[in-house]
Amino acid sequence: MFDGVLQALLQGGLLGGYYAIIAAGLSLMVGVVRFINLAHGDMAVLGAMVTITLTEVGGVPVLWSIMIMLPAMALMGWVMHATLFQRAMRGGFLLPILVTIGLGAALQNGMFGLWGSNTRSLGASIGELSWASWILPGGIILGKLPVLIFVTAVVVIGALHLMLKKTKLGRAIRATASDPEAAEMCGVSSRQAHRAAAAIAVTLAALAGVFLAMRGQVTPYSGPAQLIFAFEAVVIGGIGSLGGTLIGGMVLGVSQSLGGLISPQGSLLAGHLVFVSVLIWRLSRDWARDHGGWRASLAISAIKLRRRLTGGAPAPDRAPSSKGAA
Amino acid sequence: MTKHTTISRRRFGALAGAAALAPALSTRAAAQTDEVIRIGWVGPRSGPLGIFGEADRWLADAFAAKQAGGVEIGGKTYGIEVILADTQSDPLRASQETRDLINGQNPDIVIASSTPETTNPVADACEAAGVPCITTVAPWEAFFFGRGGDPENPFKWTFHFSFGAGDFAPFYNGQWAKLETNKKVGMLLPNDADGNAIRSNLIPALEGLGFECFDAGPYENMTSDFSNQINFFKKNGCEIINAFPFPPDFPVFWRQAAQLGLAQQVKIMQMAKAGLFAAEMEAMGQLGYGLASGAYWHRLFPTSSPSLGMSSVELADGFEAATGKQWTQQPGANAALFDVLMAALGASGNPKDKAAVAGACRTLVADTAVGTVDFANGPMPGIAVTPLVGTQWVKAPDGPYDFSMEITSNALAPNVPLTAALKPYRIGG
Repeated sequence: MFDGVLQALLQGGLLGGYYAIIAAGLSLMVGVVRFINLAHGDMAVLGAMVTITLTEVGGVPVLWSIMIMLPAMALMGWVMHATLFQRAMRGGFLLPILVTIGLGAALQNGMFGLWGSNTRSLGASIGELSWASWILPGGIILGKLPVLIFVTAVVVIGALHLMLKKTKLGRAIRATASDPEAAEMCGVSSRQAHRAAAAIAVTLAALAGVFLAMRGQVTPYSGPAQLIFAFEAVVIGGIGSLGGTLIGGMVLGVSQSLGGLISPQGSLLAGHLVFVSVLIWRLSRDWARDHGGWRASLAISAIKLRRRLTGGAPAPDRAPSSKGAA
Repeated sequence: MTKHTTISRRRFGALAGAAALAPALSTRAAAQTDEVIRIGWVGPRSGPLGIFGEADRWLADAFAAKQAGGVEIGGKTYGIEVILADTQSDPLRASQETRDLINGQNPDIVIASSTPETTNPVADACEAAGVPCITTVAPWEAFFFGRGGDPENPFKWTFHFSFGAGDFAPFYNGQWAKLETNKKVGMLLPNDADGNAIRSNLIPALEGLGFECFDAGPYENMTSDFSNQINFFKKNGCEIINAFPFPPDFPVFWRQAAQLGLAQQVKIMQMAKAGLFAAEMEAMGQLGYGLASGAYWHRLFPTSSPSLGMSSVELADGFEAATGKQWTQQPGANAALFDVLMAALGASGNPKDKAAVAGACRTLVADTAVGTVDFANGPMPGIAVTPLVGTQWVKAPDGPYDFSMEITSNALAPNVPLTAALKPYRIGG
């Protein structure tokens, strides 16, 4: 039992590396640009499909395919933001959501038209890497590919962090995130900063897509499920925090893996439950903070509950209004 | 696709390719008579199941060439025309194509092959329209019970010959007895219709035969992480793994099994549903050598197809020559479809009389490329059972192709010769 749990913890933690990569791009967009891209998962799949095509049809080695694909996807992110997202953002709160849902559907059907509905994988193209592993003392097994993905996640998120902290572009992005108008007045082009962030986000999504195709398979319709995982990792880790995204990804991976120990169908469910629990905890924490701390807010809740239980169902207008009822 | 059907934009790409072939889609044997027997053949020729239909075009042409002189039934000579329709691997499309075929082309008989997603909607459409229909390559239980079949009130127009899910236990018993193992079997069964049917039927049957089964539980198709199932099999020391996966899931499972050390402990990796085609094995690379599967037809079956006038070896070689691809089980299985069809038409006395053809099918016994098809003694009315043999994919000793499928057990078909002994699985072969 113990080594089963240990193995599940390790596998789940490593799986978190993948979630962190796909979530990092989403986190950057939400945190910096204040833009929710619901086509993020579909862009991941597009990156995978392009890489698979270059490798299988073009005969390009996998690493080179990725090297060709990533700049192309970055350019696509840049252009998407310049032509689509930027305009959508001016249209208020709802428009970006509608635009990216539409973009996602267009990407899915476009990929279906181009590549058909077959499931595709890069597993065959990377040879031994897809299944080789290291055996540690104590019978602990570490797959080389999951380790590679995890290390990439740490490196990518570390590099992104350094870029945001140390470089001119990073400062511009952060300045735009906290106050676009003030940043503009200081000579920072918020447009350029946003486009750069979008380019980075799409690149990260595409990289995650490649890893998904290496460790499993993709179809043109795999994107939305990946978007959900990315969102969960972002929310668990804290919106806009890159380090938190890595932790969020690992928490999600570990909960799925432990859930899978309980029941084969428990793995996705466990991930979703942890996500919902974290969300509820955050909301109630914020609510408590606004109502004089945990103790006071619990007391308010208890009073309300008692009233409901003892007084039948009092009409809301006759119930003495408390601060908490607002 | 032999006529105008509604074309959605997303299908356009697929259709554009097929349009080039459209004039050739119906293959008419040059007959000097007025009456032509029209055969509608519905099959998956594009989409995820497209590999099942790879032989169809060539088979239809070869069949038409063989029957070019016309066929004599009841003292009358008839021409033969085969009309192909593509399901695009979609059950709804299969149903639509069949209805369009029946309404637009008035076929005398319809045939269909490969997976319940093809056979069931096609047969349903034929049953509704009162057109005789013969199908194959789908477990007969999925065909009969999956369509709500009732032994008391059987289907009137639709007939099916194939292996059955109930045959798996004796089949595996024969195959697994070839190696010394601890008889602990890890069962990898998804949460779908096939997986759950196998769970409730095959596991008790195997346990009755002295195997100890470890069911890793129902998982969802398209899962990307099998580590819990793999650790479960490892912990229980399973030396045999039996998987009924959605085919694209299998490489994911088996790569992780190699990663986590399960593949190194397993002696027999027995696949069903997956592992029918060499192309799947090539995608597995080194991990593919030694995987065990089953076959409903093989190049070395001691059978021949009367309707095509070819032996099994000739069928396989003809397919390779025509397509430039390694032979699959489909040329043989689908040749058998023509064999049954021709026998039924001959026995009917009047191939243009649909009721007579359906009546002839009910008690038909025909020699085919997959062996004798016997509707008179089937498990259900309108059903005939054909055998499976145990196979193993091994590194081809020579030749242009990487993998070769060897026959390793023949418990259900003792007349089929074994071509190799079952070897324990080892990474790299």
